[in-house]
Amino acid sequence: MATIQEKGYGHWDGRLIERRLPWWPITRTAIRMAFRTRHFKFFFSGAFIPAIVYLVGIYVSERLDDFRFMIKGSEKFLVINPGYFKSYLTGDFLIFMMVLLMVFSGAGLIADDLKFNALQLYFARPLKKKDYLLGKAAVVGFFVLLLTLIPAVLFIIFKLIFSGNFEFLTSYPWLPASIAGYSLLITAFFACYTLLLSALSKNRRYVAIMIFAVYFFSDIIFGIFNGIFNNPYFSLLSLKANIQQIGAVFFGQKPPFDVPWPLSLAVLVAVCVLAGVALNKRIRGVEVIR
Amino acid sequence: MSSNRGTKLALLGRTFRRVFSFFFFLGRRSRKTKVFYVMSGLPVAMAAVIKINQMTAGTGRDVVNSVFVDILMMFYLQFLIIILALFYGTSICSEEIEGRTLHYLTTRPLMKSGIILGKYGAYSLLLSLMVLPSLFCSYFVLNAGRLDRAAVYLAFLRYAGVMVLGILGYLAFFAFLGTALRRPILIGLAFGFGWETVLQYFPGSTQRFSVVHYLKSLLPRYSPGRFSLLTFRLEPTDPLISVIMVLLISAAFIGLACLAFSLKEYISAD
Amino acid sequence: MTAVIQTVRLSKWYGNVLGLNNVSLEIEPGITGLLGPNGAGKSTFMKLLTGQLKPNIGEVLIWGKPVWNHCRHLSKIGFCSEQDAFYEEISGWEFLTGLLSLQGFTPAAAGARAEEALAIVELAQDKDRKIRGYSRGMRQRIKFAQAIAHDPDLLVLDEPLSGLDPLGKRKIIRLIKDYKMRGKTVLVSSHVLPEIEAMTSDIILIHQGRILAKGDIHYIRDLIESHPHVISIKCGNVRGLAAEFVRAGFVRKLDFGPDDDTLTVETHDRDAFFGRLPAVLLENGIQVEEISSPDDNLQAVFDYLVGK
Repeated sequence: MATIQEKGYGHWDGRLIERRLPWWPITRTAIRMAFRTRHFKFFFSGAFIPAIVYLVGIYVSERLDDFRFMIKGSEKFLVINPGYFKSYLTGDFLIFMMVLLMVFSGAGLIADDLKFNALQLYFARPLKKKDYLLGKAAVVGFFVLLLTLIPAVLFIIFKLIFSGNFEFLTSYPWLPASIAGYSLLITAFFACYTLLLSALSKNRRYVAIMIFAVYFFSDIIFGIFNGIFNNPYFSLLSLKANIQQIGAVFFGQKPPFDVPWPLSLAVLVAVCVLAGVALNKRIRGVEVIR
Repeated sequence: MSSNRGTKLALLGRTFRRVFSFFFFLGRRSRKTKVFYVMSGLPVAMAAVIKINQMTAGTGRDVVNSVFVDILMMFYLQFLIIILALFYGTSICSEEIEGRTLHYLTTRPLMKSGIILGKYGAYSLLLSLMVLPSLFCSYFVLNAGRLDRAAVYLAFLRYAGVMVLGILGYLAFFAFLGTALRRPILIGLAFGFGWETVLQYFPGSTQRFSVVHYLKSLLPRYSPGRFSLLTFRLEPTDPLISVIMVLLISAAFIGLACLAFSLKEYISAD
Repeated sequence: MTAVIQTVRLSKWYGNVLGLNNVSLEIEPGITGLLGPNGAGKSTFMKLLTGQLKPNIGEVLIWGKPVWNHCRHLSKIGFCSEQDAFYEEISGWEFLTGLLSLQGFTPAAAGARAEEALAIVELAQDKDRKIRGYSRGMRQRIKFAQAIAHDPDLLVLDEPLSGLDPLGKRKIIRLIKDYKMRGKTVLVSSHVLPEIEAMTSDIILIHQGRILAKGDIHYIRDLIESHPHVISIKCGNVRGLAAEFVRAGFVRKLDFGPDDDTLTVETHDRDAFFGRLPAVLLENGIQVEEISSPDDNLQAVFDYLVGK
């Protein structure tokens, strides 16, 4: 006589295979969604203008005689040294474009999840808080590194190709490490800055304005107080000025402001620490309503 | 025909009153308003720092004047009111769509243009209440030693008038952006910090294509030969024409916003 | 009876997607249920009725007047949206009085009406709590309250019972029925069929943007000739009863229940069957415990029309 099996829950004895990079789907989706935003591709392309200009500069520097008629008096700007890299990586326009890209691609990273109560969906899966935050930060990292690390490495490569020898690298062997270090520091800072502001509100429009306003405001305040008091220590109030200070140190250049560089670094680190504290409080699987 | 128009105007007026009072109430209660109030108060802190420095360093009165015009007014005109107007102007339409609360308004006996006008009025008053006290405090902190002069008060009224006009003008423009575009923030930022900043340094009539040109034309002038950062390269327009132009710009853009809101359908993603 | 709502060839596109297709109907006073699965076009239809969307083709008339960009008669319409969206930073009380003030009521009148509406939906005790702190059911109730607070003549309710517990649902259903007794018009949508059945037998079936059927549910059922009617009879002598009907031409199928006390009959002519049944029962002395029509309900009608 056949036995009748009782229907019930069967325990599965298999092994649950976890993704080695659990944060990757978050990053991939957010990057795709950023590119789907109207006008994003336009602004993203525009952010590469300085890179193209500097790349052309590297080419022209190797063909100075051919272009002397065009660049009369400007040859000093085409000396390819660490200062050239610092000039690109800490340029006002590049930093401004990075802030704009954060407005586009970063404003809604956490704000939208808070608005639509999606955190519960994330944490109902085998995803830790650090994976969630890493996934979101990696979106910022993707865009910032594309504008900093990649072009700078390409500058070195093209410099070597155009010059036909390794003299540049032997002269500045520490340059690749400086580029990597600065790029990673800037990436970490912008990721923390963007995620901090994105986590403070459910309104993406408000976050977009605050990303822009806080950056701009810090620079204006520095300009005002520096103009009145003529004290370089007010540069610590400006996010841009602190980035430029640290950038100069990384590339062995004279910092633009007469302020000890550890203080500038401390300001950037303080923003990152503040972001860490705020994100830890705001990112929770369950919303607590008081 | 005229009675129909009269009825429509009466309905518009009623809609304006009702929407104005509801959203002025809501705006005051909003958390973001509190954040913006703090932001608006920062020039007062700046003014206090500058004043203390003046008193300890013995800086001249003219320097304090120039600080107010070139620095604080610059901060108000070219940063603060633009940021505030951008957020609140785009909120007139966008916050209802993003928050999916638009149907609470459009399923009530309210004229669509009246909804826009009512919110515009409410947010204009709200922004004025944010900016004017801050302007008052920062101005009178810097002019603390000159309060016996009537000219000081008249100058303040002029600055306050410029602020209010600026709020009306920018709020109307950003309201139009918010009704016409799905993502108005970037165009708004490009306008406020790109177009408005760059165009004022262009020669001739080009400057007149920016709102800030007319606002700056209303500011008190320095004596000839005195350098002012705020009015650098300014080819001022007559004050009366400037006022009319700002009011016309405000009316035009808020009219366009009302038209866009009345004709468009706003479909929220369910 | 004069129709409250009239639509003439009403169609609505969302880009390339057809939301509503050539809908022409009239809705009279009383309760009308709008039934359809998700994506059928119920919300689109309701948004067109309340002037939130503009028809691409055709027109919508309420009390003989067009709706799009005509706002005056909206004072007599109450709309309860399906969306869970509020002005979160204010309390339930402030929300209701605010919306009533938009309706044109004075502060005193708005306060009185808000109290009444809150009492009806049993939120009077939580009126001063911020809506942000409301539970799902409370949010649904405050949404319903704002639709009825101004005592409208036409109620358009999009899924009004979602998120409510069974007791809450009963109260709202009773309230909706009271509205009908007072001569008001209610159009209520749902995809939970027993809820609609509890409120009304006048239904509109909508699927993929088209109206499949409109009218009394039993009448609609009778019209569906392609599906035989199913009648279930519980009695003492099922086999004897079956023997009497096995030769009848109008009987398509006979089925016995598991305990042999129920006979299920499939017939394409319900009238003929019920005409013959009493005589058969009397002649054979069969005592009947229960007679029911398992498919004479909305679910079956809907399944048949949708083609499941």
